[in-house]
Amino acid sequence: MTDVAIELNGVGKMYPFFSLSNIDLQVPQGQIMGLIGPNGAGKSTTIRILMGLVHQDCGDVQVLGHRMPAEQVAAKWDIGFVSEDMRLYDSMTLGWHMSFVQSIYVRWDAAYAQLLLRRFGLRAEQKIKGVSHGQRVKATLLLALARKPKLLVLDEPTTGLDPVARHEILRELTDVMADEGRSVLFSSHNTQDVEQISDTITFIDRGRIIDSMDKEVYLDRWRRLRLEVPWGVTLPALPGIIGVKQDGRLAVATANAFVPDLANAYESSGARVHSIENMTLEEIFVANVEHSREEVEA
Amino acid sequence: MSGAFAISQSDKRPMYLQIMEQIKQRISVGDWTEGQSIPSIRQLAVDLQVSVITVKRAYLELEREGVIVTQQGKGSHVASTPGLGARLREQELKRHLEQASRIAALLGLRPTELEERLREAGDRISEKETI
Amino acid sequence: MKESIVGQLILKDLRLQREAILFAMAGGAAGLAIFEHGGVTAMFVGSIWFFVAMAVIACMLPIAAIVNERKKQNLAFVMSLPVSPMQYTTAKLISMVAMFLVPWLAMVAGAVLAIETRGLVPRGLIPLTVIYLLFPFVAFTLIGGAALVGESEGWAIAATVICNTSYSLAYFFLTQVPGLMVDTLKPAPVWSRTVLSIVGGEVAVILLMLALTFFLQSRKRDFI
Repeated sequence: MTDVAIELNGVGKMYPFFSLSNIDLQVPQGQIMGLIGPNGAGKSTTIRILMGLVHQDCGDVQVLGHRMPAEQVAAKWDIGFVSEDMRLYDSMTLGWHMSFVQSIYVRWDAAYAQLLLRRFGLRAEQKIKGVSHGQRVKATLLLALARKPKLLVLDEPTTGLDPVARHEILRELTDVMADEGRSVLFSSHNTQDVEQISDTITFIDRGRIIDSMDKEVYLDRWRRLRLEVPWGVTLPALPGIIGVKQDGRLAVATANAFVPDLANAYESSGARVHSIENMTLEEIFVANVEHSREEVEA
Repeated sequence: MSGAFAISQSDKRPMYLQIMEQIKQRISVGDWTEGQSIPSIRQLAVDLQVSVITVKRAYLELEREGVIVTQQGKGSHVASTPGLGARLREQELKRHLEQASRIAALLGLRPTELEERLREAGDRISEKETI
Repeated sequence: MKESIVGQLILKDLRLQREAILFAMAGGAAGLAIFEHGGVTAMFVGSIWFFVAMAVIACMLPIAAIVNERKKQNLAFVMSLPVSPMQYTTAKLISMVAMFLVPWLAMVAGAVLAIETRGLVPRGLIPLTVIYLLFPFVAFTLIGGAALVGESEGWAIAATVICNTSYSLAYFFLTQVPGLMVDTLKPAPVWSRTVLSIVGGEVAVILLMLALTFFLQSRKRDFI
């Protein structure tokens, strides 16, 4: 039943100016999935649907073996959810919030909560309204982490945080990994974080999933080929190349399904391959989005 | 055990390659000896704050190269082949020498000139060590 | 699972609105004091004070406990807990009614007692007082319902405006009810059929509003 932490099948949702369609997603237990995509792509909507806060128009959603949104209460006992647009009660202290959550959840680990207070540099006596943005995010995360939930669903957990705070949070997320019964789904604009700790990467743009696969395999499919194109040579259109930018005699080809043969193909056409470089997730992100925009305009 | 590992994201090489290299380095300098048990995939992932899948890939490749061995349920350890450390050092030397040749070619040096530079480098190092 | 989640949410609401409730009680107590110890004019002033106080609570409580929770984005936090939208609605309606009832019952009881025991004004005023003081309660369920279902400050304010402007109209209609006003001057309270049916009507509207709110909330597909 719980080999798979999250499963979305054919999920769709229509809004007046935006629609999510054909969302197929799977997060096996013990894995970390990073969700990336431009603003308005549908990351938050997808997350809300899997939390049962929004009812999908079609498709099945199962989280920790529970159908959503019907069984959301059962599921939420084992989920720690933090979203970027979530706020704690201004007029109350962090300590009050901790007691409040503790009074609901059996699995609250008080010792771990105290440890997190120290690690995050937070004080329980402080009222939420007096606290900085970064501390507020950490406080909300603390409330989710201290329950040691089987699944963590985080919408933009490190957005707007200074490098130290980001590092503190990444550390806790990777510590969660030590237990192979626990899983994490997080969406982020911070491609560095996603690249570093995700096992699987899912790319969403304009309501559709563009890619969803093993991170290492994904990173391995992308390359930048720097080419020198002598006069009179035309670069062939090759499968696996999603874009070529040429400026005079120099060209940069971006491959999203790289095989060594591609370099050979270019060489045979008369071009010289200067270098073949790996791409960072950020570069892949931009290339992907630019490409899909071009496709729409064409 | 995995204290002095450093994975850098500004290093353009994939993370799993960096991990592989650093593990090989440990073995070649003798920090990790033949047959010694090493952190589990998950444990190293947590220590380095990288994804499990990255460490898994590194371990897989290392196993393919015969550098480590992973046993189901028992964790991983350095391969017990005698002379593994020496072999890895040998590989590293070969890599460095090839790199040196490549750069020498770009500088337009002849093989004898490269040999001369190598001898000079060797002298400099032994000087430093006697001081 | 520890104690009921609905119970925890109700306690949470009571704790969050603690200051507001105490303030309301203080105001009510002051009004009651005037009612108990002043002369006829004071009683008149006191009764208006009650009414206004209840009308104000009827507006402010939904804003404080419902609209703000959404506006200040606390709702996402609450919904991250193991609670369904309907459990949230149930807890909210119960805590809201509880927070309104406490000052309201105290004021109504105090007013009725004062009229009953002090003999300064005809006891025939009691039924009308009860009918009149029920108005804010009806308004409260309407405004609270609008705040919950409408999901925005706009709806709550619209409901508030409608209610506040309707009080005078409602009172006017009361004066037109045959026999009602005459009975207020009598020395003993007259619980005529007319009075009882008006009170019954008000209570029915209150229950209807609560049920309607519950029903409309259950139809929502996107809770946040």
